[in-house]
Order: sequence, then C-alpha cells, then structure tokens
Amino acid sequence: MAKRWTCVEAGCSWTVVTPDSQSAVLAAQEHIAGVHGSFELEEMIEDVLEDVDDDSMIDSTTPHA
Amino acid sequence: MAVSDPDITSRFHFSREMIAGPVYRKYEKAIRKMWSVEDIDFSQDALDWERITPEQRTGLLGVTVRFLAGEQAVTDELVPMLAAAHRLRRFDWTMFLSTFLMEEAKHAEFFMRWHERVVGVLDPEEVAQHFLVRGKTVDPTGRFTVRDVMYEALPDYGGRLMEATHSGTDADVERAFVQFSAAYNAFVEGVLTMPSYEIVIDTTERWHAFPALNKGFRLILSDEGRHITFGTMACRILIEKDPSYEQCVHEVFDAYRGNIVGLVEYQKAVPDLDLDKYQNMKVRHYRNRCREMGIAPDETLIDQILDPSIDFVVGVEAG
Repeated sequence: MAKRWTCVEAGCSWTVVTPDSQSAVLAAQEHIAGVHGSFELEEMIEDVLEDVDDDSMIDSTTPHA
Repeated sequence: MAVSDPDITSRFHFSREMIAGPVYRKYEKAIRKMWSVEDIDFSQDALDWERITPEQRTGLLGVTVRFLAGEQAVTDELVPMLAAAHRLRRFDWTMFLSTFLMEEAKHAEFFMRWHERVVGVLDPEEVAQHFLVRGKTVDPTGRFTVRDVMYEALPDYGGRLMEATHSGTDADVERAFVQFSAAYNAFVEGVLTMPSYEIVIDTTERWHAFPALNKGFRLILSDEGRHITFGTMACRILIEKDPSYEQCVHEVFDAYRGNIVGLVEYQKAVPDLDLDKYQNMKVRHYRNRCREMGIAPDETLIDQILDPSIDFVVGVEAG
C-alpha cells in the first residue's frame, strides 16, 4: 500500500502520496521546511499517514507545489 | 500443551500482538535513539554568552530558565500516567512511559548543565532571579483569560488520575487518563510548547550562536515527538473504546483556550520574530493532535488563533 500525507498548516492542504513511510516523512519534512519555514517531527508524520492504493501515486504532487 | 494456571499466566505481559504494536515500536525507538547530555560540548556556547548584548542575554535567559523549570515540572508530573498504565494492565504503555520519564529527567539535566556551564548559574536562588513571571494578560476584549497550565492544570488532572487509579473503575481511570493526556501531551507538549522550541532554534540560527543549545533542543524535540504521539495514540485507543471520552479532550482545550489564542510570550522576550509563523504553526499542531487522536478539531478555536484582531500577548516581565 502507498502512503498519503496531507499538510494541515493554516491555509494549506498539500498532499503527497509515496510508496512507503520513509519517503512520506522526507517529502513532508521537505514541504514544511520549504513552504512553511518550519519543521515537522518524524512521529507526527508517521502516525497520521493514510494507506492508499498504489495507483494514487500518479496523482501525487511535488513537495513545493 | 497443558492448561496453564491463570494466576501464573497473569504474571507475564509480553505477547506477539503487543510487541508488534505501535506503542512497543515507540519504546524500541526510544532505546535506539538514546543520547547523553555528557556528549554535548558547551564550550562554544560559553564563548557566545560572553559576546552577546545584555538585552540578548536577558531575552534568551528568560526563555531557557522557563524551560529549565518546565522540564522539571513535567518530570515530576508524569507518575500518575505510569500508575494508570499499570492499573489498566497495559504493559507496553508502562515500558514506553519508563523511557518517557527518563527522557524528561534528561531534558531537565540538559538545561541544568547549559545554565551551569554557559551562564554560571545552577542553584534555585540563582536561576529563579531570571524566571519570567507572567504578568496580567492584556486581552482588550476581555474574552480570554490565561491560566497556568503547567502548575495548575497538570497537578489538577494528575491528581484526578491518581484518585481514579486508586479507587475508581477502569472507565474512571480511562476517562481521567484522556483528560490528563489531553492536557499534558496534546495541549502543553503538543501545541503550546512547540512554537517555543522553534523560537529558540530560530534565535540561535539568526544569531549564528549557541550550537549546544540548538543541538540540545533538536535532540529534545526528537524525544518529544514520541512522547506527544504516545499520548495522542493512547487517547485515540481509549476514545475508540468509548467515544464519549472525546468530549474530555475538548473540555481541557476549552478550559485553557486563552493560553493558545494569545500570542507566544517568548516573542516579547526575543524580538524581531515573525508573529504569524508561530500562530500558523499552532494551528497545524492543534489539527495534527486532533488527527492523531481521531477527533474533529474545534474550528472556533482555530478561527480565534488566526484572527488578527485577537492579538494580545501573554504578559511577561522579568522576575
């Protein structure tokens, strides 16, 4: 199963779908640092990842979108 | 296989299901990620302390001394959670909480050593002189009041949890656990303090100084990520068991609403920081904690945090 993470910063709903948890953590941390100038802790990303179909990765956006 | 005596069986707590579970995984990670204050070199921070201005010293020390007190408080206040985990027969929670308690003690040790080796203060009378005492909160609308979460809410909810652990039903313990964890892990650690950590990290990077303080905060944050998500995970498990517990979380956040709606007090102590950044990240952390607990966030609270007309700063003055 692929993993989906959605940003919940005020005014942001950016979503990423990755093949595994580790990639989702890296993508989420890159997004939070690049777009919001902040950081997000590993556990806080891992614990809210959603399982989605692998096909969903086609619709994934880039970290800075 | 012979039928075992239930009294004997009850003496063993590990199971395949438990060691494959998320709380045990956090325990294993805590063991793998162990760090020591003794490995941190404070020498550059001591040199940086000598070169910053008196105003910068006052601002920085006001923040670090509050962390020194806060880490001691959360170390002291964790015992009710351990007692409740034992009472609820959740051995994986007890194992994780043993790392949690040790790490909070270590965080207090880190701040003790930083103040001793960088600033030259350690004894209670020395550090207390630099404690930022909260003045009266100035909310022009009079809608919000700021209460003392650390020294009022945690002992209060902790006391209720201990009482339930000693003489309540399992449901009483679970309900009190959700209240305590909502206050300790979700509110204090998970929302209120997160901008403060980032303010200190931002400050050290802006000043190109205090590498040990920066490193210590990052190490502490990595521990806090496990602590916070343990608490919210425990709440989620208990709320899934009895959805009426969700209301306990909202009641805790509502009781201390003013503390979150107001601007971060350290922005007064460390000037020139971006106010909006820390309000926005409070919203992110609040939504995240609710997502972890599997509950709906209070949208009114979010609107109030982001409302630019609600811009009072929790009053602080040098003690």
